[in-house]
Amino acid sequence: MTETKQANGTTEVEIEAHMNGDAMEMDQVATAIDAVADDNTGRPSVNVNKPTPYTFDLGNLLAFDPNPLPHNIDEDVLASTARDCAQVLINQLLTTCPIQSTSEGVLLDLPAPSTPIPREKPVPKAKEPTKWELFAAKKGIKDKKRDTKMVFDEEKQDWVPKWGYKGKNKDMDEQWLVEVDEKKEAETGVAHDARKEGRAERKERMKRQDRRERANEKRGAKKV
Amino acid sequence: MSLQKVKPRNARTKRILEKRDPQIHENPKTTLFLKGTSCSSLASLVLTDLHSLKRPQAIKFTKKNAIHPFDDASSLEFFSAKNDAALLLFGNSSKKRPHSITLARMFDHALLDMLELLVVPDTLRTLAQFKTRKPAVGLRPLLAFSGAAFESPVASPYTLARSLFIDLLRGEEAAGKVDVAGLQYLVHISTAEAGSDAGEMPPIHFRVYLLSTKRAGGKVPRVEVEEMGPRIDFRVGRTRVAEPDMMKEALKTPKGLEARAKKNVETDLMGDKVGRIHMGKQDLGKMQTRKMKGLKRGREEFEGEDAATMVGDTGDGIDGDEEDGGVPVGKKERVA
Repeated sequence: MTETKQANGTTEVEIEAHMNGDAMEMDQVATAIDAVADDNTGRPSVNVNKPTPYTFDLGNLLAFDPNPLPHNIDEDVLASTARDCAQVLINQLLTTCPIQSTSEGVLLDLPAPSTPIPREKPVPKAKEPTKWELFAAKKGIKDKKRDTKMVFDEEKQDWVPKWGYKGKNKDMDEQWLVEVDEKKEAETGVAHDARKEGRAERKERMKRQDRRERANEKRGAKKV
Repeated sequence: MSLQKVKPRNARTKRILEKRDPQIHENPKTTLFLKGTSCSSLASLVLTDLHSLKRPQAIKFTKKNAIHPFDDASSLEFFSAKNDAALLLFGNSSKKRPHSITLARMFDHALLDMLELLVVPDTLRTLAQFKTRKPAVGLRPLLAFSGAAFESPVASPYTLARSLFIDLLRGEEAAGKVDVAGLQYLVHISTAEAGSDAGEMPPIHFRVYLLSTKRAGGKVPRVEVEEMGPRIDFRVGRTRVAEPDMMKEALKTPKGLEARAKKNVETDLMGDKVGRIHMGKQDLGKMQTRKMKGLKRGREEFEGEDAATMVGDTGDGIDGDEEDGGVPVGKKERVA
């Protein structure tokens, strides 16, 4: 470096100085142009110059201007401050956010809001596992994935639901003729009806399930 | 104080109640506007204007309510729970505190924090007094705060006001997208520097401006503002800051809300987006090559039959082919 300087002598230094001077001149010209643009409104200015920079929270479409306002404010000062804020905010939005043009209009993708705002309600808690879920996890029992509620009925040659309205589990209820279980009749001493028996069993199962659900709910509420 | 838990009797009520349950992605907060027993007409004008800015996420009560929020907030909590409203604006006026608007914020229907703002009567101009175009209902405003007091690290009525006004005005943030055509108005909230008097609290100026844009050559337009109203100056009154525990609970963010980092997508040195994709193993046997009349399957089969008959006739040609080294049948046929 020094060698080249020595070799070229004073010329390089001169050139440097010249370049610097040029740059300074250019700067002055640039500011002059800016000022002209402002005055003549040929190209209105979109720049805002404030001593303290603005901060933004674009997720909330928010600009924050920490520059002090004079003690006695009038409406003109307020309006010009507001205009500067709006200008800076729009500049920031249009230059930093990705823009999408869709059929619904030009959309701006906003970043996530950065100002912490309290939630309306607490973060939802995870549901307390039921007794069965606890047991299944302990034993490593996995859910059987059932993809459909429908089964094929050979008799009807059609797909019918396993349960529910016209469900397959109600087949016995609608039989017009059923065998009497003599052994059961002898035990209980009451006329045996296989149709009623099936239904009663189903209802009983539902009741038990309800009871289990309530117990689980109670357990969950107690833990929370 | 919370309302008794209602057990839904039908699916519709169940859906409504489920919507009121805590959610991971919260709905925009509903604001409830209500008046005290001696709400001055000035305070009610302010409430009306703020309500029209806040629509559609707002409910307005018309009857008077004997509430003194800073003495007993249980009524506010009750109304909050009944209406599922997280923000309440309560207007009242007394000799000591004329034209007061109390901004209360709820967390889980319990009072979180509260700020009393006293309207300065001389400078109030309502929304209707400005004869300008008004933006459509439900548009998100741009927000701007001017004045260092709003971002001081020490909690003050001004920082509370900032938090409450952002909460009140920020609108629906769930989408994360905003239509450029919808950026129509700016709510500007400012406060001057405090004067020489130490205990003096400078008023908060609430202004709303319509934006208009002019082309400025570049990508960004020149923005001009026109006041749209309401124009309200507030003096700061009493405050109630949130209890730290409650605020901490309220500021929790649910897990899994932040987006997962996308795998295999990178940005290179030039700023280009580069994706890496994984493909299954390519089966060259099934590759589609150039189609030619001579390679058509139908003809091959047809000729195959011919060839078979020819094989029966003359055996020597085939032997030669086999010695060549396992040439497929098709080729053999073509030779034949």
